[in-house]
Amino acid sequence: MESFQPEVTLLYCRQCLASGAKPVEGRRAGEGFSARLVVLPCSSKVQLPHLMRLLQAGSDAVQIAACPEKACQHLVGSNRAENRVKYGQDLLETVGMGAGRLGLERGAGLSLDDLLELAGRRAEAVRALGPNPMKGV
Amino acid sequence: MITAEWKPIEEMVGYLRGHRKVLLIGCATCVAECAAGGEREVETLAPLLAMAMQNDGNPIEIVSATLERQCEPEFVASIAEQAAEAEAIVSVSCGIGMQLVADTYADTPLYPGVNTTSLSIREEPGLWTSRCAACGDCVLGLTFGLCPVARCAKSLMNGPCGGTRENGMCEINEDTPCIWRLIVERATARGQLESLVEVKPPKNWSNSPAGGPKRMLREDLRS
Repeated sequence: MESFQPEVTLLYCRQCLASGAKPVEGRRAGEGFSARLVVLPCSSKVQLPHLMRLLQAGSDAVQIAACPEKACQHLVGSNRAENRVKYGQDLLETVGMGAGRLGLERGAGLSLDDLLELAGRRAEAVRALGPNPMKGV
Repeated sequence: MITAEWKPIEEMVGYLRGHRKVLLIGCATCVAECAAGGEREVETLAPLLAMAMQNDGNPIEIVSATLERQCEPEFVASIAEQAAEAEAIVSVSCGIGMQLVADTYADTPLYPGVNTTSLSIREEPGLWTSRCAACGDCVLGLTFGLCPVARCAKSLMNGPCGGTRENGMCEINEDTPCIWRLIVERATARGQLESLVEVKPPKNWSNSPAGGPKRMLREDLRS
């Protein structure tokens, strides 16, 4: 398991970024993990099929970055995303994938380094679960 | 709407062991409204089942489709090609749609992905509650538009019973209001409380599901 380098998909709300920061997409290497960054207009755009398809496609973990509660530009968007993530975590546990493969953290004024830190925290959470068994299927 | 709930995924995994390619089909009508079998649920369940089967040591290919209405032959016919290529079909429509699919593709095993549970209304986001029991002899005209068959745990025709809680909720489920309390309140508000003590003709239960399978015939609509 030492050599396991989790591949994390980070879906982040563009409103989480620091003022004036340009949204970043694509692959980035972190320490002991890699991250694929995907920008969203709002975290509420994430639906369960997106999350499950990403995991089915082999991503070791999916992390969502949402705005702080009450700071969502759509008022309840980040809360809806959080509810979906909790429901998705239960489903993943049921199918033996482990709830830790999916997570949501809130933040504001984030830089690229901050985004990578969020991805890194999900990578640490998934390290004990090992590689996604769907990888390469 | 007809409501349904996903079966436990372990139960679906049990059905699918031994199959290598499965067609998962949803319905974009009632079960989509109750978030059990619409396109969103199908596209959530398909990868989940694939992951569950992989972890079970029985990898499987899952093809998915969502029909506009799974209870209409024309829509069910549209999946003939996918059904022919599948070793089994999992349906997340109500039991009506499932049986039409099973009849149409009788050589292919069909497994239920949901339990069909009720005829309900979406009372608020994420909450569905029963409104109709398809009893075949509607009494809403006598009960101020509130159904004691579907909404009373005992289907009483002369409630409320002695089990109504002080807060007006049902003794069987304290999240459920006593429907007879609501009937009495509505009758009182309309100044028609006395109508509830009138002797009513016996309800015709022979037209209910307990009377055997229904067969409804309209000669004027037949070709």
